[in-house]
Amino acid sequence: MPTYNLNINNKPYKGVPADPDTPLLWVLRDILDLTGTKFGCGVGSCGACTVLFNGKAVRSCQLQIQEVGYAKITTIEGLSEDGSHPVQKAWEKVGVPQCGYCQPGQMMTVAGLLNSNKQPTEEQINSAMSGNLCRCGTYHRIKAAILEAIAK
Amino acid sequence: MNTKLQRRQFIKISSAAGGSLILGMLLPQACKTGTKAEVCDPLQPMPYLKIESTGYITIYFARAEMGQGVNTSLPMILAEELDADWSKVKTDLLPFGVTIDRPDKPSSGGYYTTGGSQSVITDWNEMRRVGATAKAMLVSAAAKRWNIPESKCNTANSVVYNTKTKEGFTYAELVCDAIKLPIPKEVKLKETKDFTLIGNAAPKKNLGSIITGKTKYGIDVKVDGMVYAVVERCPVLNGKVKSFDDSACKNIGGYIKAIQFEGSGMPMHIHAGVAVLATNVWSAMKARKVLKVEWDEAGHGNESTEELFKTFELKSKNTPLIEVYKKGDPGKVKASAGNTLESAFAAPFLAHGTMEPINCIGHVQKGKAEFWCGNQWPEFAPPTLATELGIDEKNIKINLAYIGGGFGRRLFFDYILEAAKIAKQYDKPVKVIWDRVDDIRNDAFRPANYHRMKASWDDAGKILSWQHHYVGCSINLMLEGPGAKVVGDMTGGAMSDFWYDIPNVKTGFTHVDFNLSRGWLRAVEININVFPIESFIDELARKLKKDPVQFRLDLLSTMPKRMTEFPFQDPQRIAGVLKLVAEKIGYAQPLKPNHFIGVATHHFSFCPTYVAHAIEIEMFAPKKFRIVKVVAAVDCGIVVNPDGLQNQLQGGLAFALTQALKGEITVKNGRVEQDSFFNYELLRYPEMPPVEVHVVNSTEPCGGIGEVGMPTVAPALCNALAAAGHRPYRLPLKKDGYEWV
Repeated sequence: MPTYNLNINNKPYKGVPADPDTPLLWVLRDILDLTGTKFGCGVGSCGACTVLFNGKAVRSCQLQIQEVGYAKITTIEGLSEDGSHPVQKAWEKVGVPQCGYCQPGQMMTVAGLLNSNKQPTEEQINSAMSGNLCRCGTYHRIKAAILEAIAK
Repeated sequence: MNTKLQRRQFIKISSAAGGSLILGMLLPQACKTGTKAEVCDPLQPMPYLKIESTGYITIYFARAEMGQGVNTSLPMILAEELDADWSKVKTDLLPFGVTIDRPDKPSSGGYYTTGGSQSVITDWNEMRRVGATAKAMLVSAAAKRWNIPESKCNTANSVVYNTKTKEGFTYAELVCDAIKLPIPKEVKLKETKDFTLIGNAAPKKNLGSIITGKTKYGIDVKVDGMVYAVVERCPVLNGKVKSFDDSACKNIGGYIKAIQFEGSGMPMHIHAGVAVLATNVWSAMKARKVLKVEWDEAGHGNESTEELFKTFELKSKNTPLIEVYKKGDPGKVKASAGNTLESAFAAPFLAHGTMEPINCIGHVQKGKAEFWCGNQWPEFAPPTLATELGIDEKNIKINLAYIGGGFGRRLFFDYILEAAKIAKQYDKPVKVIWDRVDDIRNDAFRPANYHRMKASWDDAGKILSWQHHYVGCSINLMLEGPGAKVVGDMTGGAMSDFWYDIPNVKTGFTHVDFNLSRGWLRAVEININVFPIESFIDELARKLKKDPVQFRLDLLSTMPKRMTEFPFQDPQRIAGVLKLVAEKIGYAQPLKPNHFIGVATHHFSFCPTYVAHAIEIEMFAPKKFRIVKVVAAVDCGIVVNPDGLQNQLQGGLAFALTQALKGEITVKNGRVEQDSFFNYELLRYPEMPPVEVHVVNSTEPCGGIGEVGMPTVAPALCNALAAAGHRPYRLPLKKDGYEWV
């Protein structure tokens, strides 16, 4: 089995063993025990597995480990350990989560959006967020939290 | 002791600043002087509460936390009576299997059962009693130290104060004395007006853990030595595995073996299947793709929902097989020609689609078994698991986890039983993970349903009769078989809880069998029945050229209260929430061109909660609209956590809009046709309309909140569309060619 050197949450992981076609999602969850990144569908339809790839939001279920290289990967655990990232703070202030399962993915999508665009329009927000499902239906508060994060 | 006295004096000096602050300032002081706080066993008069001499207060909740917020609301009730410093209280899930001996002995299926929006209602008295009991013991311990009567003490923020000297002991300091005291049998509870915590918005206790990705859901649990399994299941229920061939799987690195198992009947209907075991989940998924299985579909490969709805329609025209409720006799009402209306309403099977796919770890050893998963009704599983495994029920341990979406899906233990069938054939723990295809195709589906409604009126427009014939696939008949004692499909206004004052009412149910597992989905039958009832009452109003709000209010105004017989119901509260949404959406004001408002109201008859919705839409074409605004009003008596209420009602709207607009499971050739969020679509972020939730200020006993935001959404939306000129009779609207922007 091949091994990979990875750069996750600014920490080097050396010699991670995985089949080349293993999605990053399962490497994070099963091998590295970074379970904050969630499995929701495995086909890129729900956004629960969203992580940052060089600062850009990607679905980790659609990214094979052989494609990752030494790109800078950020998961919810690395957005900040203490919840101090502006997106996490906005999420906390608004009290977004219900079950919370999709929220790491939601927050990573917003963090990715704001990395590339500090003042996104409503249309740009809609477009970025339409790939992240929340079955509890916290969209009303997600919207409020995004506006809060943009304002900060 | 002297040092302690000094500490107490420090408290006295600083007490005006508040107990929690003092405690924080005191601890370093104690360290400096070398004082060691007394350490002893915690005060734990009941499993729900643990106060440690080190200062930690943990309040345990025994209900499943799946987003509805019981990990905050239930501990708040206890903390209120305890006068605990809420900011420092930790809450945690009480491990399943702990003996809970409650004097109130509620009969809701068990102390861990989480369904029907019942948690706050069922645990209200006990949480208060436990909090008050512990507080009484701490007060007693403090009074003894001061040698004063208990009546000269008061409590706030985890401190007992001497009311005369203003000295105080923190609860932590009193634990070692309090544990030696007898547990009082009778305790005095607070007056509602004295609540300081209940009624104030509190963030979820695990909010910080969720936003940093630390909350562990069932799917995140790891057990030493475990392997992973994914399962290829028979595409039809009640089929069998004829044979399988795993020779290609053996080329996949990490592949272990394939395990065949049979399906099951009552109470849990699970599909026969072949589990693919591997050292990691990706290898298991890859091996599954090359596994070959031949199925015996046992004659179930022909059924379809298209045919089922035709059967529904035919049977709806017959007399119901079961008469459920009768008042007066609609059959004897003589209405003039033209003074009758008959309509039929339909809604499809639905999958739960919880964001956390179904999963369970099973470990079966000689004579014992252990499971790890999220579950809403852990008391339901052990008898069947014991039979399956041939072991004693008491040797089965279920370890519960936080749930990434329940909505009733995890009331069922089909996935625990499946894990048991697999794990009993392997000597290590097996973590069974369902992928999204499995999750959607093998759900316990919300039943498809069809309703024929009839009404008649006299020449003055007074409604004389109302008939509701529900034809559907019963959940209870599937769980318990034809001998089921209760056909529970008619709650939510289709039985004695029908809330409009009409002299002749008859409701009935006809069951149609269908080879698909069925279960409870958020708001279940209430959601099913309120759609036809609140659509048809609206249709009657429009037919009689009456205002739909006033028409309802008139029929509610003369309806007597039901307070002696379940379901208890106050029609004036149903009217109250309706009036509130009408006022808040500006129902009486002129509307912009092409804007229309629809309303619906109801009693969530599992509990004393009343909710109405008003929805304003803008029409762009006969079947193209935009939801401009949604207003909800809730009357649920005392509100424990207003933040939780708002979140549940806002989220409930999204959940209900999914159903109204696009949620649908269809079956063809015995197989569920949907297999992903691409074809079983959920509401997405850009589709969420603006929403306001208004709450009736009340000191009535608590109602529930988790499901109540659902039932009136679809009828209010359909009534708005009817106001625009075309009434929808079946859900989802997408199926009828509607588009929304």
